[in-house]
Amino acid sequence: MKTIVSADPFAGPRATGGRAPDVFRAGAWVPMRQFDDSETVDFVVVGTGAGGAPLIARLAEGGFSVVGFDAGPYFRPLEDFASDEMEQNKLYWNDMRVVDGANPLTMGGKNSGKAVGGSTVHFAMVSLRFRPEWFKSHSVLGYGVDWPLDWREMWGYYTKAERALSISGPLRYPWGPKRPAYPYRAHEMNGAAVLLAKGCEAMGISWTPTPLATVSAPHGASPPCVYRGFCRFGCPTNAKQSQLVTFVPRALRAGAEIRDLAMVARIEMGSAGRATGVHYIREGRWRFQRARNVVVAGYAIETPRLLLASATNRYSNGLANSSGLVGKNLMTQSNQAVFGTMQEEVRWYKGPPSLAITEHWNYDDEKNFVGGYCWMAQGPLPIEWATIQTGSRGLWGQALRDEMAKYNHQVGLKMVGEMLPNEANRVTLADETDQYGLKVARVTYGWGDNDKALIQHALGQMQTSLEAVGAREIFRQEDDTNHLAGTARMGFGADTSVINSDCRSWDVPNLWVCDGSVFPTTGGVNPSLTITAIALRTADRIKALAARGEL
Amino acid sequence: MGAGFVEPAPWRSWRVRASPTSQKTRVPAERTPWDPDVAVRAGRRLNRASGTIAASVLLDSAIEHYRGSFHNKAMFAPLVSSALSLLAGLHGSGDRRPRPHPARDAAYASAALIGIIGTAFHIYNVGKRPGGFSFQNLFYSAPIGAPAALILSGMLGFLAERVRDNAPGTKPTIAGLAAGRVVAAGVAVGLLGTVGEAGLLHFRGAYHDPFMFLPVTVPPFAAALMGNAAMGSARKPRGFTRWWLRLTAVLGFAGSGFHIMGVARNMGGWRNWRQNVLNGPPIPAPPAFTGLALAALAALSLIEDQDG
Amino acid sequence: MTELYPGYDVLAKRWTQSWNEQTRAVIDARLAAPREPIFFTPDEWRCLSAVCDRIMPQAENRPPVPLAAYVDLKLREGFLDGYRYAAMPPQDEAWRRGLAALDDEAMRLHAARFHALSTARQDHLLSRMQRGELNGTAWGAMPSALFFAHRVIPDITHAYYAHPTAWNEIGFGGPASPRGYVRMALDRRDPWEAAEAKPGEEERARRENDRVG
Repeated sequence: MKTIVSADPFAGPRATGGRAPDVFRAGAWVPMRQFDDSETVDFVVVGTGAGGAPLIARLAEGGFSVVGFDAGPYFRPLEDFASDEMEQNKLYWNDMRVVDGANPLTMGGKNSGKAVGGSTVHFAMVSLRFRPEWFKSHSVLGYGVDWPLDWREMWGYYTKAERALSISGPLRYPWGPKRPAYPYRAHEMNGAAVLLAKGCEAMGISWTPTPLATVSAPHGASPPCVYRGFCRFGCPTNAKQSQLVTFVPRALRAGAEIRDLAMVARIEMGSAGRATGVHYIREGRWRFQRARNVVVAGYAIETPRLLLASATNRYSNGLANSSGLVGKNLMTQSNQAVFGTMQEEVRWYKGPPSLAITEHWNYDDEKNFVGGYCWMAQGPLPIEWATIQTGSRGLWGQALRDEMAKYNHQVGLKMVGEMLPNEANRVTLADETDQYGLKVARVTYGWGDNDKALIQHALGQMQTSLEAVGAREIFRQEDDTNHLAGTARMGFGADTSVINSDCRSWDVPNLWVCDGSVFPTTGGVNPSLTITAIALRTADRIKALAARGEL
Repeated sequence: MGAGFVEPAPWRSWRVRASPTSQKTRVPAERTPWDPDVAVRAGRRLNRASGTIAASVLLDSAIEHYRGSFHNKAMFAPLVSSALSLLAGLHGSGDRRPRPHPARDAAYASAALIGIIGTAFHIYNVGKRPGGFSFQNLFYSAPIGAPAALILSGMLGFLAERVRDNAPGTKPTIAGLAAGRVVAAGVAVGLLGTVGEAGLLHFRGAYHDPFMFLPVTVPPFAAALMGNAAMGSARKPRGFTRWWLRLTAVLGFAGSGFHIMGVARNMGGWRNWRQNVLNGPPIPAPPAFTGLALAALAALSLIEDQDG
Repeated sequence: MTELYPGYDVLAKRWTQSWNEQTRAVIDARLAAPREPIFFTPDEWRCLSAVCDRIMPQAENRPPVPLAAYVDLKLREGFLDGYRYAAMPPQDEAWRRGLAALDDEAMRLHAARFHALSTARQDHLLSRMQRGELNGTAWGAMPSALFFAHRVIPDITHAYYAHPTAWNEIGFGGPASPRGYVRMALDRRDPWEAAEAKPGEEERARRENDRVG
């Protein structure tokens, strides 16, 4: 394939002049319908990630006029993605945020993306379904809050999401209610995944190849995965089924417009109590796009930030915030790990990092804490591995170099664990401003006792598994977290939630939220597939409401 | 020609002497059931079919075992064995003498034996992995069907030699059964096994291309036709069967063509051949169908010539 | 430390299918980064260089990775991490203040600037910084432990492990696109991966590594 290195994706918008980048062909373009700022479009969607992109595509396919905004650039994977951990930091939301609280969150690569396609451009592709009971965790499992969604309906949307993203996974999933076979077969497991499997078998618990959003055989213009291992840094193979190469191209074909490098600063409210459009900055110029509906899909930090920043005299606490819950109940997921050294060469840099998983503890309720967790095989590249060695063991100097030399013999297991909602964990606006002149988010976080008990349980289980496969020099990474959720929770009433089950604001009828911030609880698996499933459902609900004249 | 007979191979006792040829069958200008050339011609065709499969196995095992870094020295065995089976096929293909050859017999016997050992070893290899005999391991550990192709090469070669191993002018038999029908039955079984392997690996590839259904539709039907031929009347005209077998034979080579294009579809295409020839679709595998179809055509001729 | 991957050079793959054009451009630029300070003053530079030598001591038999220059580059270009602890000033201010405070601590304890101390004394000061035991007025409101954990360690170690020299040292495959990997199992390597020198097999590993490409 001939490589044509295009101009800097940050230098200026690429989706202009009636065309957008063709992500599958170097230097090529696809046609794109464009709308004028003064034209009142049916929907403005702020954010093009796991929640925004499917909604944009499905609404456009339903005949609505839609403009999707993203603050990040429109990458061309074949030309812009280098095989390099440091260079690919450009995929993350690196703008300033202030973190505090008892356990300040590490932001950046682990929980944010700033690109068309959002963080799915660099996510680890792990595509899991929630345990059905989690949608009713309060009434069935006795903790957290219930979702206003029915798991049976979600099961259907999960299936649709898995098909749309061509998930490669096992033929039979060991846990939960029956689900259809995944559209593509699971990938070959690397050494790290085989060691997870052996550990589980020694402990007598189930494991499975991980369902991943990267194809194991050709699909359309996507060649199969080449096991290069830089999955978390963008996929120049285009095997990864990120939103950038799935729903975004679908959205364009259906007549939606994508505006890259377009930062939305404020939602404008009209006198009738309805939103009238969004103020945004693009190419250094402030502009206003008129819209009949505004969907916020910026994830758990940027979504509340935008709603709070759109405060007016009439909505002094921010939009959609009569409950006072916007920004509250921020949740992350515990991402602790146990690592060890093997006699064998593991070379965990090969292949997607999490090729095998056990969800055993997500489906076992005989524990002295609530919530669940899974754990997966690991494959950190050198910089991330150095971060773990320095962060968890406090190593530096010759001791660090000596430990790093064991790189090819390392093995690890990393959890994704459920943290409970807590109003004290929240996003607020700080006084300082970013490069756009907008107030930055302040992210406050502390772990609860249940969170800590869950983490300790998981660390013990993972250590047992590593010991069972003969790992030596075992150590624990006790301080890591990853995915985000909450801050604009869905619920059953205007006083206890921000939006209803259709992701529609209780306060402003033409304002919607569609991303991970709608989660009332966060579950013990990676959230992206659930976000996409909710987006697909929301699109169907909007079409149904429109048909009844209830938009 | 008696001097041509050599050391009896252990399976020589399988051979049932053909019923004494009656002189009255010498009818000039018309092929008779006892035409002395029939057995040799069929034998040569079977040698050729065996050789075709051996060539497929040679290249396929070379590539796959290179992928496996030849970490076990036994992984060279199928290369040696399939190479010998291929040589035997070439030799037999040009050999017009109406008798088996001990060296060819030895090559074919070793191919079958190593095929059986290889199959057992591959089964062991699948079973010892975490997950045991799961689809995951059937997909990605040592493929069980691959060494079976070596068995097929050995089997067809063995049958080629047995077909030759009939007194000239006698009705060719194998273990007392009409040779054509035995070969037809063997080919039918071989086709189904090969279909199983192709079906499994194409399932691994999620049948992402509609053409991937061809090897699980065309050859099974060919197997059914051969089953019918093995059991059915020899006088029945089998023009359709012949055409279907020719289609199957072409499909084998076309499969390699598709796989060559498949390699090109992987990231980096043929410029990245060091990865894609190993991780892409196996180019030398599909002609196993060609070899089986050639054997089937030989079997049909035997059946028709013998019993007609 | 004996070489674990003798003769392995990830740059030997530069023109193979393991590297695409954009990766070559990125690594070329990294290797060509200026070695002189632009952001830091000469005093800060001397202190930073000494800190880098202790945080990431380098082998003597090869050209060192210019760690201080990479820290300078990050600050000069304003590459951000995406967050900041509330107790920490912005990164450029943190570095200036932290290096000044370290020199100040060295002066108070040993009457010499940090770079002029023995390595043992430098290590001792850095350990105390790691434990948050440096509290001189020069630190202002910035906790020395946070400066160590969130500026010194990541900015220096990330720069090191972003460099091909470090990849050679630990046997990392390095860039991998369009070509990725084929042999995924335990104890297997592709011919384009580093060969580890098992005891007594150093020469074999060196031969294998000479063929990596």
